[in-house]
Amino acid sequence: MTQSMSQAKGICFHNVTLVRNGRTVIDQLSLELSEPRIGLIGHNGSGKSSLLRLINGLLPVNAGQISVFGQNPSSGPEKMSSHVGFIFQNPDHQIIFPTVEEELCFGLINQGLSKSTALEKVMTLLSEQGRCDWAKRPIHSLSDGQKQWVCIVSIILMNPKVILLDEPFSALDLPTRYQLLSLLHDLPQQIIMISHELDSFTDFDRIIWLEQGKVRQDGPSDEILKAYYADAKGVNPR
Amino acid sequence: MQDKSLVQIALYAALIAALGLIPPVPFVTGIPITAQTLGVMLAGIMLGPWRGALSMALFIFVVALGAPLLSGGRGGLGVFVGPTAGFAIGFPFAAFATGYAALLLRKLPTFPATLLASILGGIIVLYVFGITGFKLVTGRDWLDAAKIMMVFIPGDIVKAVIAAAVAQAVVKGLPDAVYTRR
Amino acid sequence: MISLYLEQTSYLHRMPAGIKLLGMAALSLALYPIGQVSILFGLALLTLLIYASLGRPALQGLKVFRSLVPIFALIFIMQAWSVGVYEACALLLRMGTLILIANLITLTTKMDDMMTAMMPLFSPLRLFGVDPKRIAFAVTLLIRFIPVLMGVTQHLLDAWKSRGGGRQLWKLAIPLTIQSIRLSDHVAEALASRGGIRSVKKP
Repeated sequence: MTQSMSQAKGICFHNVTLVRNGRTVIDQLSLELSEPRIGLIGHNGSGKSSLLRLINGLLPVNAGQISVFGQNPSSGPEKMSSHVGFIFQNPDHQIIFPTVEEELCFGLINQGLSKSTALEKVMTLLSEQGRCDWAKRPIHSLSDGQKQWVCIVSIILMNPKVILLDEPFSALDLPTRYQLLSLLHDLPQQIIMISHELDSFTDFDRIIWLEQGKVRQDGPSDEILKAYYADAKGVNPR
Repeated sequence: MQDKSLVQIALYAALIAALGLIPPVPFVTGIPITAQTLGVMLAGIMLGPWRGALSMALFIFVVALGAPLLSGGRGGLGVFVGPTAGFAIGFPFAAFATGYAALLLRKLPTFPATLLASILGGIIVLYVFGITGFKLVTGRDWLDAAKIMMVFIPGDIVKAVIAAAVAQAVVKGLPDAVYTRR
Repeated sequence: MISLYLEQTSYLHRMPAGIKLLGMAALSLALYPIGQVSILFGLALLTLLIYASLGRPALQGLKVFRSLVPIFALIFIMQAWSVGVYEACALLLRMGTLILIANLITLTTKMDDMMTAMMPLFSPLRLFGVDPKRIAFAVTLLIRFIPVLMGVTQHLLDAWKSRGGGRQLWKLAIPLTIQSIRLSDHVAEALASRGGIRSVKKP
């Protein structure tokens, strides 16, 4: 890693290439991601999910370097978890414990807190959110939106520097989506989010439009979203 | 992702529990075929001998703790003192044998390889345990115990064929997922 | 929660799990040599009385033993035919009583407590470098994902029926297996993203 890269704050991609099953998913990508709210858009298979997975080390690069707050994600997702929080599309894929309380404590205990301190923190947060009675609830009794809320809160509790969200609202109804968006809106953390519901990107600072593993357009949210809409409707020929 | 094996073991055990939910199909001998022993054969094939055996051991352990996960909603310590206790205890060994045999037969095409492995592990090895358990609980001699168990055999042969068919379909659908066919 | 445990309090609930397990082991050894039907019948009746003392839910819990009726009948017939009806009755009573007692422990012991009581059995695994805490974690994962996979199964069953289905229900095992393999990939990713199972190793 070059000196200039490791000193850069935030997330830097330098000539990154990723090949999966013989297909180039990310193609010599160089990016600097420092804005507080960044959206990723693009068609299915454009490399959005892979990009997020490179940031927290779930996928290793084939060529190039990535620096995430001065750390190299190739140390593995377990090591990156203190800096990088990851929210997946389906909450049922990420909730590990049978009750809300255990689920929320998990990340904190991973960070070295004792069980009782972790529980205390969880209860404080639940009461701030007005959901004290949730602690003992079994996960399988929650709705999809409530489960996703638990996922997001479990990441917030770990207090990462950046939160990555991979289509977090795909299965949710409109009111639930807005509720979760407003929860995210107030967070101090940097957020990088993939979504197909483009209105989720209101007041985002920057949108990156990926196509075949390369950046097709990159810029302020209004401009890029407009171009993306136009392209999807076939107004602009490629 | 250092914990992947552990997750696979636990989720496969959960799959076995879910298979108990598929309604049993009545078979000619009058004894219903449940999908659960099918899962035991598949465990070895899908996860390989070691992880397959561990996932079955985990399943049986949680049944012993009191979860009603055996088909028909049975569970708890009662399972381990009843006449069919040997089968439950034999699950991990059967899965191991099935997985081990499937690895040895890797050169054959998927269907015959997994069929033979399922018969060896899911029937022969499982019944050695089942018959031993039956003999211990009921105090009957080997031959009698074996004779009583024979009523289950036709259904289990059908299951071995199904296990092989499922393995073949999964290999087609997700080629990397089946440990013994990689 | 998926468990046979009865949510109530009784003298049996208060008894430590370890004592109950040891008690069952002792009882099963004691029952083995008894051959008189009268004594065995008395013991079976006594066991049923204990069930009755726990109330209606405990008695209702006995329903799950219906599935054992065919094999019990089979054993009875074989035993009566080859040895005698008296011996067949003795065998059935002894077996039945033991199952009822074992089930009684399950009904009155929380899964957590049962696990704590059984954990010492796993300590030899340390010699092979396996942390028994990982077993506890695996149990937790299993319990969490049973409802998820049962939900998937139910969806597949519904979809199967609504498209006309048929008797070859076993075919559901294919998508179910594929989905659980995918699910375990996702779960492993999510687990790693949150720091893995380190916590369980060093609390």
